[in-house]
Amino acid sequence: MEHIEHLEHTESPSNMKSQIWNTFWILLVLTVVDIALYFALLSNSSIYKNILFVFLGIVKAFYIVSVFMHMKFERKFLVWIIVAPMLFVCFLIWLALNEAGYTFDSRLF
Amino acid sequence: MANTATLTTDSKQTWGGGKSPFSVSYGKLMMWIFLLSDAFTFSSLLVAYGFVRFTFTSTLPNTIVKPFAHLSHSFVEDMNKAGLFVTERWPSPELVFNHFPFLHGIHLPLMFVSLMTFILIASSVTMVLAVEAGHRMAKKEVEKYMILTIIGGAAFLGCQAWEWTNFITEGASLSGNPFGPTAFAALFFIVTGFHGTHVLSGVILNIVIYINVVKGTYDKRGHYEMVEKVGLYWHFVDLVWVFVFTFFYLI
Repeated sequence: MEHIEHLEHTESPSNMKSQIWNTFWILLVLTVVDIALYFALLSNSSIYKNILFVFLGIVKAFYIVSVFMHMKFERKFLVWIIVAPMLFVCFLIWLALNEAGYTFDSRLF
Repeated sequence: MANTATLTTDSKQTWGGGKSPFSVSYGKLMMWIFLLSDAFTFSSLLVAYGFVRFTFTSTLPNTIVKPFAHLSHSFVEDMNKAGLFVTERWPSPELVFNHFPFLHGIHLPLMFVSLMTFILIASSVTMVLAVEAGHRMAKKEVEKYMILTIIGGAAFLGCQAWEWTNFITEGASLSGNPFGPTAFAALFFIVTGFHGTHVLSGVILNIVIYINVVKGTYDKRGHYEMVEKVGLYWHFVDLVWVFVFTFFYLI
């Protein structure tokens, strides 16, 4: 039943282990920075604070996808197949926040 | 190993048939496509949260309760009176998620969720180390790291169950929320619940793969690609948590 299969895949670099641990430390430090910033900016309610937290989230996502999920070493074509459709999410965010602004204005408590 | 043609991207060679133009197996490509669709699902849930959150007035900064302060039994009522937990204002997450197991009655803002985030990052690392060991066909190492990943996932689920129990006993539900707008609790349960379901299915998949590793299925097959595929799913769950954490606890 079982047989040795031919498997197509992209190679990992020889320093994969150190890249994994570097990514772990980056993620850990960014999470600590997140929490430190949360308390440092507690009395601040500007939209830029939210953008800052989302930006830090995207940086973390970049490291998870590129190293942990091996995306950095895949063919560019595969990378774009997965990343490009996420532009629709950006559109959805823009659309939703725009409308939410109007809903906020018309809300009666 | 067979494919070293990363530089020769001659279209005839790439698309001529007989091999994957993406240099990945069909299973892994389909896992990526599935994760893309799952990313859309989570995005729509988080965008819905963003929409609702944006239609409410910003939180009032908490200047009353300091970290490590004693929490009275009437904490929620006190916050109601202080105007920090009112239906027309989004509550400050640090006042809602301020409990820690075995440290009852102490205000520890966001400490428990930070621990949960750390557990999930750590289990992601052990997963990717299992994948790396799989490339070297090191069966014993794959076993060790898979077990650590399963423990991490189960620990995360346990933490989430504890947090949910706490939130529910304080009166939060899909249709009621003593901390502020009803939508806050409803979206919290729906989004963290959907993420938790992903963690649960991830843990089950990891257990299935672990059993196969122990049985030597992948050793006989000649590669540990199943570990990679389930690893992709596991990292995706971690990736989603990054955004759940950002939106529910930080913003």
